[in-house]
Amino acid sequence: MIAFVKYFRGYVRIRVMGFSPERFMNLCCNKGIVLWNIERKDDAYEMNIHLKAFLTLRPIVRKTGTRVAVLQRYGFPFFLPKMLKRKVFLVGLLLAIVFWLYSSVYIWDIRVEGNYRITDDVFGDFLVNNHVVIGMKKSELDIESLEKAIRKQFPEITWASARLDGTKLRVEIKENDAPILNEEEYHEPGSNLVSEYKGKIVSMIVRSGIPKAGVGDAVEEGEILVQGEIPIYNDDTTVRGYYYVDSDADIVLEHIISFSEKLPFDYVEKEYTGRQKKKNYIRFGKKEWNMSENRPYLVYDSVIKESRPLLFEKLSIPIYFGGCRYREYRNVEHEYTPEQAEAVLNEKLYIFLESLEEKGVQILEKDVKINSDTDCWVIYGEFLVHEKIGKSIAVEKTVIEETEQE
Amino acid sequence: MKKRENILKKEKIVDSLKLPKDICLGAMKVTFTGNSEAWIENYRGLLEYSECMILLQGKTCQVCLEGNRMTIDYYTNEDMKISGCISCVRFI
Repeated sequence: MIAFVKYFRGYVRIRVMGFSPERFMNLCCNKGIVLWNIERKDDAYEMNIHLKAFLTLRPIVRKTGTRVAVLQRYGFPFFLPKMLKRKVFLVGLLLAIVFWLYSSVYIWDIRVEGNYRITDDVFGDFLVNNHVVIGMKKSELDIESLEKAIRKQFPEITWASARLDGTKLRVEIKENDAPILNEEEYHEPGSNLVSEYKGKIVSMIVRSGIPKAGVGDAVEEGEILVQGEIPIYNDDTTVRGYYYVDSDADIVLEHIISFSEKLPFDYVEKEYTGRQKKKNYIRFGKKEWNMSENRPYLVYDSVIKESRPLLFEKLSIPIYFGGCRYREYRNVEHEYTPEQAEAVLNEKLYIFLESLEEKGVQILEKDVKINSDTDCWVIYGEFLVHEKIGKSIAVEKTVIEETEQE
Repeated sequence: MKKRENILKKEKIVDSLKLPKDICLGAMKVTFTGNSEAWIENYRGLLEYSECMILLQGKTCQVCLEGNRMTIDYYTNEDMKISGCISCVRFI
């Protein structure tokens, strides 16, 4: 700080020669002039003195009979006149300041922090839909309404905070770790459990409702297994009314699941020719330069690598450098050999069986065949399984007409 | 002789009243940081200055600092700072 004040006020390094430089220093001292970095060089003394004090030295010099020579000038008062001569530099400096002030009005970077389940792309789309984009004016951004919109759009976000950090918009969010519980709408009780497949019941445990089928019974698809409409009888065994419950039961059904999948005899594979072309480009926001629109090859794919220099990242300037590599390829047709076809179809079958296992289906018998059709390979399988079933369907309520007793 | 007696009397009074001696008696105050730096206050003026020796005039005595490569970092009406390799201090 002291060094800055010294520089701002300006100072000179002087050489004091003569009969008694010590007396010169003492007089300066008495007049309140500060001297620093005093060094003895041969018969003379060199020291620093403030510019303002230097201009008042004449009486002291005369009194002590010493001579003072200026060795070097330092500080802003000497720098300024030099700079004023450099017109182009000054104009450049002025333009830079104007540009700096002008660019600080806009948002140059948007950072989202704290998102795990909501991806950056999803959040980016949301911001674009809310007209929050890079290059918009800071004054056009309403932070409070943005925060509200975030919470409204994403119910899983429990806390959202947006703030402007210079020209950078920082959006900090906190997602809810606990699962979201949707409040279940109240519905009138009364539902039946129906069979989803045709088969034979092997086990049945009913918790609520009246069972309409038993263990060992063969049932059709859509048949009621457990009824949610419980009749209430009068003393004379006539139905007085119905009590409705949501049927609940564990029912295991033995039935057959079939699986079939087709595989064409031939398939197309990409074969790279080895010919490549590379083009570099510069992207500023959404504008791109040097990205060729021409098709380099007839059939090709492209790999784009884009990076942002650390300097631009730190300064929040949306300039990206990238390279695009076009790779030519040919579509070559191949034919599956029986072994290959079997492997591919077995893979598909394996995925199907995995999905059954995930659902908790127990497989008792398997019968799988692979055949060749006119234009493709076909896998067909039938599986005898034990599966937990029971689809809940609302009961059609019976209305009882009350008869007036005379 | 009388002057010396006066000084002794003054010293006694200052001692008994526990007043700071550098203010009341105008004694020089020399503070060292190792042998490389020295801060000096309450001096009257600089009598001699070279790389090997700095002689200062105080109110009651002179102080001579001897050493090598000694420079005055700053010199004001209140205090001064000397840096270099100080090897000896003498009160004359």
